[in-house]
Amino acid sequence: ECCVIQCVSSTEELRKHSWSGIPREVRPITWRLLSGYLPANKERRELVLKRKREEYFGFIEQYYHSRTDEHYKDTYRQIHIDIPRTNPLIPLFQQPAVQEVFERILFIWAIRHPASGYVQGINDLVTPFFVVFLSEFVTEDMENFEVAALPLETQRNIEADSFWCMSKLLDGIQDNYTFAQPGIQNKVKALEELVSRIDEDVHNHFKKYEVEYLQFAFRWMNNLLMRELPLRCTIRLWDTYQAEAEGFSHFHLYVCAAFLIEWRKEILSMVDFQGLLMLLQNLPTIHWGNEEVGLLLAEAYRLKYMFADAPSHYKR
Amino acid sequence: METIWLYQFRLIVIGDSTVGKSCLIRRFTEGRFAQVSDPTVGVDFFSRLVEIEPGKRIKLQIWDTAGQERFRSITRAYYRNSVGGLLLFDITNRRSFQNVHNWLEEAQSHVQPHSIVFLLVGHKCDLEAQRQVTQQEAEKLAGAYGMRYVETSARDAINVEKAFVDLTRDIFELVRSGDIKIQDGWEGVKSGFVPNTVHSSEEVTKGGRQCFC
Repeated sequence: ECCVIQCVSSTEELRKHSWSGIPREVRPITWRLLSGYLPANKERRELVLKRKREEYFGFIEQYYHSRTDEHYKDTYRQIHIDIPRTNPLIPLFQQPAVQEVFERILFIWAIRHPASGYVQGINDLVTPFFVVFLSEFVTEDMENFEVAALPLETQRNIEADSFWCMSKLLDGIQDNYTFAQPGIQNKVKALEELVSRIDEDVHNHFKKYEVEYLQFAFRWMNNLLMRELPLRCTIRLWDTYQAEAEGFSHFHLYVCAAFLIEWRKEILSMVDFQGLLMLLQNLPTIHWGNEEVGLLLAEAYRLKYMFADAPSHYKR
Repeated sequence: METIWLYQFRLIVIGDSTVGKSCLIRRFTEGRFAQVSDPTVGVDFFSRLVEIEPGKRIKLQIWDTAGQERFRSITRAYYRNSVGGLLLFDITNRRSFQNVHNWLEEAQSHVQPHSIVFLLVGHKCDLEAQRQVTQQEAEKLAGAYGMRYVETSARDAINVEKAFVDLTRDIFELVRSGDIKIQDGWEGVKSGFVPNTVHSSEEVTKGGRQCFC
């Protein structure tokens, strides 16, 4: 079944194989490995999984009741009102059992990371992990699958694994969500500088019509392009982000630049501020699949290597 | 091709998370009601033309802001270039009404040296049974701050048009009387394309040259 477990001997090799997309059947285990949640050492895996899953449910037991405390009730309230609005068009996410999972994951993460706490956008980041780990147990029509019908143990494992993998992801981009969101501010500035080098026409076009990068790219950074792409594309994108060193924190910038340039023809044909903003907020990616994401990533890779040594264009 | 309009006004829509800012704007600009939508992060842009008197059109550019506190550092930057604002609370959520004062303070401290003409909006008025804020107290609060008050429902399309058009008319009067002036480097009010002038015929020529043939 699985060459990932059998044949791929080192994490380095696994990254190499994963960069251009991970087969669906082995994606769950590969994501657990690439995120650093599961150790490369096979003998230790089972024990680590067991221990981490217990640890997560230990947090739940210890902290989840505090969501009604004065100190945490605002955090919980915000999560609680955002969950029904997360992936609003997919029935799976309207199931009470699924919404409770998201609430617990986000609340525990938020109170363990007081420097940022819960920020809108982080709710989206649970989704790919949850869907990928659920996919181990669902063969078709995931969007309508009844999660409560799974054995409780399975549900708990999916929840704990989603929590830990999301935590690993967020460890790398926490400054996106701390006070004044410096990570995002810096990356949007870096995007502007990068685009000014790679596509002067687009850059000058924005200047001419007074479009600021922050006006459209804030969301690209805050939600890692998840609002701009169908979920299947985000999952494919994350194969590569997890295979890249600093995929979410650094390579994402090049993906955003490639994504912007992808629309250069449409951008240059818009000759007023409002046409440009409406276009940039509603880029037509609804039909996108693996092929489009593959091309996007290849272009991002090219940009990264072309500009890797450019002087101070992006201060990490 | 650009439709002809007298002025362009920039408006900002603020208020607590989930009071219905995006739904109200979508009803106004797209004419539809979304039962659920993703929480707004940062700021989203919308636009619509309104006719305030026969033949007098105003272009509205509307900034929809995120309600969550953490996004303030981003949303703040949009106050300065706004001439008008809708300050929303949810009539079924007392807390969102109590926060109206904080929102006004937030706006006032970031709009200097300009000012914003605000309209207080009690949203979700279709949910009468769950009402936690009376119309009288909301009107009283609005009066104390020198604002108009209107109750709206995006779901049932109640007063949505009225809210935006009334605010637009108020601003228009202030522009006409000279209380609000067009200034270079300020995006709040811009003067539009006026028909039968050299300026507009130039625009037409330019547009013609750019057409894809």
